[in-house]
Amino acid sequence: MHPTGCGIGLRSPHVAEILETGPGIPWLEVHAENYMGGGPAIRALERLRADYPVSVHGVGLSLGTAEGIDERHLDRLRRLVDRLKPALVSEHLSWSVSGGVYLNHLLPLPYTDEILDTVVEHVARVQGRLGRRLLVENPSSYLRFRETAISEPQFLNELAARTGCGVLCDVNNVYVTCTNLGGDADAWIDALDPSSVGEIHLAGHAINDADGRSILIDDHGSFVSADVWALYVRAIRRYGRVPSLVEWDTDLPALGVLIGEAKKAERLLDANGASDVVAA
Amino acid sequence: MSSLHSVQRAFRAALLEQDDARRAADDVLPDGLTAGARIAVYRHHVRTSLTEALVSTFPVVCRLVDRRFFGWLADCYIRKHPPATPCLFEYGGVFPAFIERFPACAALPWLADVAQLEWAMNLAFHAPDATSMGPVRLAVTPPDELGALILEFEPSVTYLASRWPIDAIWRANQPGGEQLGVDLDSGPGRLEIRRRDDDVVFRALPAGSFAFRRALADHEPLERAVDAALATDSAFDLAGEIRALLDEDLVAT
Repeated sequence: MHPTGCGIGLRSPHVAEILETGPGIPWLEVHAENYMGGGPAIRALERLRADYPVSVHGVGLSLGTAEGIDERHLDRLRRLVDRLKPALVSEHLSWSVSGGVYLNHLLPLPYTDEILDTVVEHVARVQGRLGRRLLVENPSSYLRFRETAISEPQFLNELAARTGCGVLCDVNNVYVTCTNLGGDADAWIDALDPSSVGEIHLAGHAINDADGRSILIDDHGSFVSADVWALYVRAIRRYGRVPSLVEWDTDLPALGVLIGEAKKAERLLDANGASDVVAA
Repeated sequence: MSSLHSVQRAFRAALLEQDDARRAADDVLPDGLTAGARIAVYRHHVRTSLTEALVSTFPVVCRLVDRRFFGWLADCYIRKHPPATPCLFEYGGVFPAFIERFPACAALPWLADVAQLEWAMNLAFHAPDATSMGPVRLAVTPPDELGALILEFEPSVTYLASRWPIDAIWRANQPGGEQLGVDLDSGPGRLEIRRRDDDVVFRALPAGSFAFRRALADHEPLERAVDAALATDSAFDLAGEIRALLDEDLVAT
C-alpha cells in the first residue's frame, strides 16, 4: 500500500486505540529504533501494517558521521525493513554518533563539498544494503558552521542527484532553521528540486528564550503554526500532492487531535496539491 | 579547514564530557547569538532526552528518590556512560551498578536492586519472542545423558536475587500502591521476571526452585542445577520442578 494524503506519526500511547477502533488514517509512520527489539511493540505494528500503509523513519543511522555507517545498526534496520516491507524508508541529513557514542540528537553538519562526498557514500551504502530508495530529511538547526559553503536545499539537491535518494522535506524544520539562522524559508522551499521530494513532514515548534533572543525549538509539542501551514501550501503548490505527515511527540494529545491536524493538511492538499507524487 | 572528525569530536565533548564549549564554538558562526548559547540548545536536548529515557525505564527508582534528585543522578550517569546504540530501550544496563557506587545513594542500599528489577522488566518487555517450546529435547535425551543436558530458557526470563524485598518495594510504588507497607527486614527477594503474553510479570520463588532455575538459565547442566537446588532445599522435588518448567513454557527446545 502506498501512502497518499496526510498520515500521522504513530506513538505508543495511541497504538491500542488505533487497533481497537480502526480510525480512518491514510498512513502511519514509526521510528525505526523503537521497533528493533522483539515483543508486543513490533507484533502490534505488524497488525497495523495489515490495515495502514507504514513508513519507517530512522533516527539513528547518523548519515553524516565521520566514522562510517555502523554496520550492526544498518543490519538491524535491514531486518526491520525486510520484516515490515514499509512503503517508505527515511533518515536524516545529520549525525549523532561520534567516538562510538550515540548522542540522541539530529546534530548539524557543515555543508561542504567534502562532507557531501561523505554523505553521498553513506546514503549509497544504506540504499545498497536495504535494496531500496531512501528519503533524506532536512533537520532543524540552531547553528551554522563557519565552513558551510553550500545552502541546505542545494546540498540535498546534489545528494539526491548523485545517489538517487529522495528528499523528505520537513517544512517545520525549514521554518525553524531559517528563523534561527536568518534565512528565507520561502526561498529554501523554492530552491529544492521538486522532482526529488517524496514526503513532507509537519509539526509544531516552541519559542524559547536564548540570552534575550528568541530561538525556535523543534519540539513537536503543539499545533502546526500558521506560518508553517503557509509554508506547507507553498511547498505542495510547488512539489505537488506529496504524501504528508503530522508528527507530535512532546505533550502528546489525544489521537483525535492528531487526526484533526492531518485532516487539515488533507484539505490543503486537495485544494493546492496539483497531482499525486509517487516516491517509491 | 578542520576535518569532520575533529568537528564532531569537539561537539561531542561540548555536549557530554564537559560544559566548556570553546573548542566546538570555534567552528560555529555566532549569527547574533554566542556560539556557546547555540551549542547549549543541543546540549540541553541531549541531556534531557536521555534523562527522559532513563525515567521511562526506571520509573520506580525515579519515584523513590524524587524527580529532581533523579535528574542529577541521571545526568552524572549520562556523562559517564552515554548510549552506545541508537535504540534507547537498550540504554541503562549499567545504571543499577552506577547507583550502587553513587555516594549520594548510599543511604538507600536497596535502590540499586530495585533498579536491577526495573532493568530486568525492560529486558523482558523487549526480548525476542520465544520460538519453539516444549518437552521435545527432554523426551528424546537418553536417561544416562540427562545429567549433562543444558536447557535453553525462553528469552525474556531473568532471575534476580536481592537481600531486600524489592518486589514489595516495587508494588508499593505503583499507582494506588501507597497503602501497601514495606517491611525492609522481611527477608531476601528471589524473583523470576519474564514476559507472559504481552505483559511483564514477576514473582517470588522458593529458595530451591530459584537456585534450580537460575542455574539452568545460566546454562549449567541439569545435574549441577539439581546440586544447587539441593544445597538450599534438601526436600527439593526434581520431578515436580521439571514438570513446572514445561507447564510454565520456560524452556525452549
